[in-house]
Amino acid sequence: MITEDRETFSDTVEEEHSVEACTKCTACNTVCPVARSTEIFRGPKSLGPESERYRDPHEATVTAGLDLCSGCKLCEVTCPSQVSIQEYIRRAQNKGAREKGRTLRDWLLGHTRLLSRFGSLTAPLANFGNRNPLFRLLMERVVGIHRKRPLPKYQWLTFESWFKRHARPSVSPPPLGEGRVGAARRTVAYFYGCWVDFNERRLGQQVVAVLERNGIEVIVPRQQCCGIPAVVNSNTYLARKYGVENVRRLSALPTGVDIIASSTSCGLMLKHDYAHLLEIPGAEQVGSRVYDICEYLWMLHEAGELDVDFQPVDTRVLYHAPCHLKSHGIGYPAMRLLRLIPGVRVEEVDEGCCGISGTYGVKVEKYDLSMKIGSRLFEAVKAAGSDSVLADCETCRMQVEHGAGSRSAHPIDILARAYGYR
Amino acid sequence: MPDTSTGVVVIGGGSTGAGVLRDLTLRGIDAILVEKGDLASGTTGRSHGLLHSGGRYCVNDLAAAIECVEEGRILRRIARTTVEDTGGYFVSVSEEDEAWEPRFVEGCQKAGITCERIPVEEARRREPALSTHVRTVFWVPEDGHLDPFYLVVGNVESARRRGAQIRTYTEVIGFTRNGNRISGVLTRDAVTGEETSIGCQAVINATGAWSGFVARLLDVEVKVVPVKGVMVVLSRRLAHAAINRCHKPGDGDIVVPGLSVAILGTTAVKVPHPEVLPIEWNEVQLLIDEGAKMLDGVTTARAMRAYAGVRPLYDLGAEAEGREMSRNFAVIDHEERDGIAGFTSIVGGKVTTYRLMAERVTDLVARRLGVTTACTTAEVPLNDRDDEMDQLRHRPAQLGMPKPHGEELALQPLLCECELVRPQDVETWMKDPAVRTLEDIRRRTRSGMGPCQAAICSYRLAGRMVTDRGVDGRTATRAMADFLETRWRGVRHVFWGSQLRQAQVTAALHLELFNVDRQLQEYFPPPLGEGQGGGVPAEAVEAVGQP
Repeated sequence: MITEDRETFSDTVEEEHSVEACTKCTACNTVCPVARSTEIFRGPKSLGPESERYRDPHEATVTAGLDLCSGCKLCEVTCPSQVSIQEYIRRAQNKGAREKGRTLRDWLLGHTRLLSRFGSLTAPLANFGNRNPLFRLLMERVVGIHRKRPLPKYQWLTFESWFKRHARPSVSPPPLGEGRVGAARRTVAYFYGCWVDFNERRLGQQVVAVLERNGIEVIVPRQQCCGIPAVVNSNTYLARKYGVENVRRLSALPTGVDIIASSTSCGLMLKHDYAHLLEIPGAEQVGSRVYDICEYLWMLHEAGELDVDFQPVDTRVLYHAPCHLKSHGIGYPAMRLLRLIPGVRVEEVDEGCCGISGTYGVKVEKYDLSMKIGSRLFEAVKAAGSDSVLADCETCRMQVEHGAGSRSAHPIDILARAYGYR
Repeated sequence: MPDTSTGVVVIGGGSTGAGVLRDLTLRGIDAILVEKGDLASGTTGRSHGLLHSGGRYCVNDLAAAIECVEEGRILRRIARTTVEDTGGYFVSVSEEDEAWEPRFVEGCQKAGITCERIPVEEARRREPALSTHVRTVFWVPEDGHLDPFYLVVGNVESARRRGAQIRTYTEVIGFTRNGNRISGVLTRDAVTGEETSIGCQAVINATGAWSGFVARLLDVEVKVVPVKGVMVVLSRRLAHAAINRCHKPGDGDIVVPGLSVAILGTTAVKVPHPEVLPIEWNEVQLLIDEGAKMLDGVTTARAMRAYAGVRPLYDLGAEAEGREMSRNFAVIDHEERDGIAGFTSIVGGKVTTYRLMAERVTDLVARRLGVTTACTTAEVPLNDRDDEMDQLRHRPAQLGMPKPHGEELALQPLLCECELVRPQDVETWMKDPAVRTLEDIRRRTRSGMGPCQAAICSYRLAGRMVTDRGVDGRTATRAMADFLETRWRGVRHVFWGSQLRQAQVTAALHLELFNVDRQLQEYFPPPLGEGQGGGVPAEAVEAVGQP
């Protein structure tokens, strides 16, 4: 008998995003790129909320199968009950790693910044080694990094040192005209991340150029690795250390300064994971100021502040939306921006995860699975036969180049070209 | 001539009947157990699963408390795989509770219950979920969790391996007599309606709350008072140990963490019939409110279902009502009392003392049959063979058994994902003729007892019925729908939050995606013209004329 008196149950409130909210609808399993590619992976529903019921903080964690989760977070994006599925898996992975110890390989991959700094300092040698089959075979045997996985090319000149010498445009407030009413001069802090710093300085230069073209002052605060390589390699201690440092530095920025990231995964750490997974004090405030570069430019456009005086760029490109971009919950601002440029024909390849997931596809035992996950995307890219594939995430670009043999770039690359930068 | 003959017929497949069956076979007596439903489908399976240390009864019912102490210790020894050694706390949350404390401590001393007062901070360190209302804490290490399903199934399987037979879904409809002596029972299959006679030398009536109905077939009276108790199942354990309120036993004063859930118990309402067990919303509300006084997280946890069980309280003629009545038990020797030889009833008691009850009644019956072998159920462990109870997977780590979520299980496919049931856990039971419905599978494997309440495993189990049991698709669909129906009976009492959303997902899956109700109408069409959706009644057509 259902009566109105049942309203007295309103004081019974379950926690939000909790494991309790799972209704076993299995939507997460259907989008999980790993579950779709291998039968031995039970899927996010089982390893997340269902196993969570059985996990006891005082007992050893059951880790079997946990390492197969690539951390793409598509499960969380899909969950109609908003269960923090991946976060539960991540916490269990980390607890398991604390109990059982982690391999040298995972320790190294967690210290991406250290590795990259070293790679950058010894750039010619490192790049030679990374392409030498003998050295790669040795690397596979000793460290566990798959010999077929192309490793990023290091650059001797870092973005940080380039920016120090970069000639800033003269500080003059933009004219107050129509469409710019009330727009004070904007300043953004650029969180460039390790990739731009050591591997793709050009992307950082393009970001700075695009922003400065729009009359925005770019400052580059001192920064540490965002911590995502450490998180995915079960080293929350290190990730938290990095995070605390970044939060401290970014909190010190003057109010009104927005923070821009050109890597979707770095951006996601700053926006979300610092506050939720790593529970860093003050991270919520910092996170609320963080924008993805394309998200920010699109917001400028909506405010009528984006310079849309583009040169035509005659190109046909594919756009691959990285999984972590989907976690931002901002749609695909890059596609919207590119459609403003005359001559650009952009199509989305809607074939899901590319499979690399940062350091996941680098590991010797995951390489094949990673290529299998990405195979649908590779096929689609090959079939489309376009100039290049655009993706906001650096490891997605590495994977598409490797798997589909096509060229790739960050969407900002086209935008910079439309502004006349090369 | 009866269709079958045996030494003793045991009526009732609860913990007592199962205990009696095993006790008989351990003494070398041939026996058949007859149960009108499934094993543990009555009082036993609807208990809260608290293995009583005796603390709950030590003030008001000292005799019952002393039995609990002894039996608890024996069960820990013989039924290691069914007992979870959680320990328990008795907590005071009000001034009245504190006034009860001296009597509780004295009672514990009298009954020989280990009980230690510990600082609240220490208790909160061990049980972080203890509520801030808690003022005093007593640690009672001998409280525990007893899995009622595995207890019954374990006893029955142990007996079956020694030659005993069981007949589930078989109701006793009469007795055959030879003068004053019982010479057999007449049974009817609840599904097929087939009637069978079993010849025997003695009958033991172990039907608990139903004892009166069985005795009435022989025109004798057994006065059992059915007292309903309502319980709410939460989706997580919340605590490591059982939490009891330290006060005069009352409503909603225990929280029992067992296996993967916590159970809030219970209420006590006298009911007219052991099968009339309505669950009122205010009972559910009361259990949650009272539970929240002892443990944080009771209100924020997901309530999965509510269920009601019935206590078989034996009327010793006292004026007592409900909880005032003793939880003690009695063996009724009908030969002495009513002049019916070969008929004995065992009434009252509770799951914790099932073994002692079985021992007492079997002692009497064995003596009458001239068997002198002594009772060994207190010594011979339930798992006395290696292959025994393979199905018992949900073992806590301290028992040294594989955990349900153990490493070796983590990569295997599952039928019931909530309760981690694998195909091989179900397979043996699918082939057992005593297992008739998916509910029976649930009692033996825990399939469908998790948060989704069989939304997912029901259709997988239906598929297994076809592959493992060889039934046709219609029967399997019917079985699936019946299973969901019985789950629904408990779910509908906790309609808020996640479980309400869950019910909508379940309905969408089964009614919209699978179209189960329509399929069933097609497979099992109701007779035409009876106004049950099977066509328009003839008189209605006459009234409005032909279309």
